[in-house]
Amino acid sequence: MSHLPVVILVVYLAAALGLIPLSKLKRFSPGWGALAVTSLALLLAIVSALFVGANGPYSLFPGGHAGQGIEIAVDWVAVLMHLTINLVGLLILVFSQGDLESELKRSYLPIYYAVYLLALFALNGLIMAGDLFNLYIFTEICSIAAIALVAIKPGKQCLQAGLKYMFLSALASGMILLGIGLVYMVAGELNIRALAEAIPQAFQTCPWNVYVAVSLIIVGFGIKSALFPLHLWLPDAHASAATPSSAIHSGLIIKMYIIAVARIIFQAFGPNLFGSIPAPKVILLLSTIGIFAGSVLALVQTDLKRMLAYSTVAQISYIIMGFALAVPAGIRGGLLHIVNHGLTKSMLFLTAGAIIYKTGIRRIEELRGIGFRMPLTTSIFSIGALSLIGFPGFSGFVSKYYLAFGALEAGKPIYVAVILASSLLNAVYYLPIVIRAFLGHKTGKFTWDQLPWPMTAAMTVLAAFNLYIGILPGGLLGLVKLAAAALLP
Amino acid sequence: MKGFSNYLPVLVVCFPIFAALLLFLIQHFAAKLRDLAAQVIAGITLALVASMYPFIKSLGTIGISFSRIMPPFGISFRADLLSFILALIAAAVWLLATIYSKEYMAHEGRQNRYYPFLLLSLGGCLGVFLTGDLFSLFVFFELMSLTAYVLIVHEESPFAMAAGYKYLILTIIGGLALFFGIAIAFAAAGNVQIAPGNYLFTQINSLSFIAFIAFLVGFGIKMGIFPLHVWLPDAHPVAPSPASALLSGIMLKTGAYGLIRVVYNVYGPSLIAQAGWDKILLALAGITIFLGSAVAIAQTDIKRRLAYSSIGQMGYVLLGLALLNVNGLTGTIFHIFSHGLMKSTLFLSAGAMIYKTGKRQISEFAGIGYKMPITMGCFTLAALAMIGIPPLNGFISKLILSMGALDAGKPGFVFLLVLSSLMNGIYYLPIIINAFLGVEKEKRVWAKPFTELKWSMWAPIVLLALGCLIFGLFPLNYPLDWAKAAANLLLGVSK
Repeated sequence: MSHLPVVILVVYLAAALGLIPLSKLKRFSPGWGALAVTSLALLLAIVSALFVGANGPYSLFPGGHAGQGIEIAVDWVAVLMHLTINLVGLLILVFSQGDLESELKRSYLPIYYAVYLLALFALNGLIMAGDLFNLYIFTEICSIAAIALVAIKPGKQCLQAGLKYMFLSALASGMILLGIGLVYMVAGELNIRALAEAIPQAFQTCPWNVYVAVSLIIVGFGIKSALFPLHLWLPDAHASAATPSSAIHSGLIIKMYIIAVARIIFQAFGPNLFGSIPAPKVILLLSTIGIFAGSVLALVQTDLKRMLAYSTVAQISYIIMGFALAVPAGIRGGLLHIVNHGLTKSMLFLTAGAIIYKTGIRRIEELRGIGFRMPLTTSIFSIGALSLIGFPGFSGFVSKYYLAFGALEAGKPIYVAVILASSLLNAVYYLPIVIRAFLGHKTGKFTWDQLPWPMTAAMTVLAAFNLYIGILPGGLLGLVKLAAAALLP
Repeated sequence: MKGFSNYLPVLVVCFPIFAALLLFLIQHFAAKLRDLAAQVIAGITLALVASMYPFIKSLGTIGISFSRIMPPFGISFRADLLSFILALIAAAVWLLATIYSKEYMAHEGRQNRYYPFLLLSLGGCLGVFLTGDLFSLFVFFELMSLTAYVLIVHEESPFAMAAGYKYLILTIIGGLALFFGIAIAFAAAGNVQIAPGNYLFTQINSLSFIAFIAFLVGFGIKMGIFPLHVWLPDAHPVAPSPASALLSGIMLKTGAYGLIRVVYNVYGPSLIAQAGWDKILLALAGITIFLGSAVAIAQTDIKRRLAYSSIGQMGYVLLGLALLNVNGLTGTIFHIFSHGLMKSTLFLSAGAMIYKTGKRQISEFAGIGYKMPITMGCFTLAALAMIGIPPLNGFISKLILSMGALDAGKPGFVFLLVLSSLMNGIYYLPIIINAFLGVEKEKRVWAKPFTELKWSMWAPIVLLALGCLIFGLFPLNYPLDWAKAAANLLLGVSK
């Protein structure tokens, strides 16, 4: 049973490699094949979560050197993120059964699904990497798959966005690798547990090495997770990519890098060292600017998907802020928002995709009266909007109040004000869309959405999760509490 | 505390909300059934509210909490005497407005959207009055505010949309401010229960002051206190008249109720007095009373004049609760009750005149008193109550408020109350004079002939107007007794 998390990785990798040759078979549909694999992975993740629930967190050491070399850490962070990744990944995949054929050439579909599975493989691996070597490998695989997911859609725009993304991502990878190298130079270890013991001493002898390493790692992952002002690649990539790609990018990929960097900072370097350098202050400042800049830029967008992309820049800053507060409630808020924003933003991207699929409308202005043509999709969009604004009863509210507690616990009530001000900005750019969809013009008759059922099903399930977490977050909160304790004891 | 009676507040709040969702389905079958169903639902809600009385009388407080919903706060329901008075007046006015809506909304259309949102906002409003902690109060406050938006923009004209948007943004600011305050309270005290003696703040420091201001902003926006009133004169008149009556008559009061709870349950009157924050409230109350009344005089649109009048009246309410004594608080509670009756009478009768004539300017209603004697009679009665002519209910609340001001040693406010009554006279009496005496008999020509309302429209107005008379005139005045008892309870004075 304890090898289940590894089985997830093996299943994904084998499926990603096998999907393209298999799709040569006449009766094999790559989409449904990928779906089957992801369902299996979700099932495994659930069983693995139950196993950890019964026996407690544990680690695997494939190299055989316990506590020294390669480590697969199956702790509560990994459990929480496994569930999130595989659930959201599965639902996006369900949606893409209806949507993807309208966006991609038929011959690209097997490749797309293979890359998609590869991305899920890397994400699943990344969040349980217990050593910097593995962590870097999975980061790289994930980045390459992510770029491919953007660039695969035909058209100059996507290619351009993909290239921009690739250059910046490669730069970031270089920085991370350099940072890891510097750490290894002074500490002589790559395992996170071993580093936690070695770094304080290394910090005594070569403080600058550690400073520079921390900075490089933070900036590198900052680029990958679009921390303002390193977000430049994101709006292009998220807006131009195919809908399922946008959803998995905004919903999952960029957040898992935050988990990776949080592991390095809190578990390897330790919160004390992190607190003793100006990094938290700088990150808090940047995330504050990011929250406002992202929201203001979202406000001026005319393209629906671009607006959602800029909204992600703002929302990711919330998450980063929660972690940078470096108090338990803040980290809980950050983790909660990873889950909630993962569910919400992927849902919003899917609804935007559904609207484009049905009507071809991308411009926000033209969405007038869309509520009468696609009532279900627009209602689900409204749920997502209210959730991100933080109305009580929706999932976004839960993470918002934990972030607020985090700011109060850290003795920085000013950040509560920042969170609230940004909620207002969210309202200013989300609500007019909802209002114009239903009100303010001659009302027509409601006609049903008439989308392919996989699209409807995926969006509805995400909306149901959103409301469920909004009203009864007890179970998720329990899990998040354990995960936060694993990061910051 | 496991008896059935403890579930009554839950039932009162949830019934209209779930029934409203049911109404979405019912209305697919028949329009007639929909109108009737909405009235029946409002009626049952009123009956449920009334059925809480014997339990509150014998037990003092009833309620229950559900800690599993939205942890770590949980959702809790609680009803004491203060909650009961407000829930009762809310449910009663809502029922009458729903009955009135049948005819009125036939003319406005889009009832399929109107009725469910009307009932949802009733549920939200009752939720505000009947919850046992600040967080649940906030949740229902948001529900009410959001659903009221749909009522405000009902007409969907560009002006209505603009007014609605202003309302929405200010409401969200208010909600966020409330949330800020609640988060600070929770961080300080570890709970946000509303219970006698459970003061969440026990120290005067910058954080508790920030929270106080946050609560003031959050509830003040809803209440229309100067300078947070900017949305009110646009939003209240633009809604359909029954909704205006509810917005001005009842929903404003949720803000006042919240402030009462903040001052008397969250901080405690002694802390507020010690910190001197009551002076902030008093200053705002003074400005609001004066400004609301003064600006009302300048209005020519009848519904706008009524809306500004509401602002002035909410100044009275704020004044009473800031005086921190029994008479002041009794006056506040009784004024919330009486203003609910008076202002809904005024809005419903003004709505009836607009419904019949299609006009909104006060000067255009010359001589309408002869065409619509019942409506205009009720309007007159309620307007006189507003001015504070004895023996109507408005007189009693002003009298008690004045006594409260004298008890607090602030005779200046008595002068302000008298001045404001005078100003009320200046802007209400011309409407009445104009309606009955404005033109000679021969010149009373109307472009479109019309007659008095159908009974289903005048009956609610008459009932409300009678309320203004009865609760001023009769020696056995239950609401006044309840208001006194509730004030004593809040101030911790045992009689």
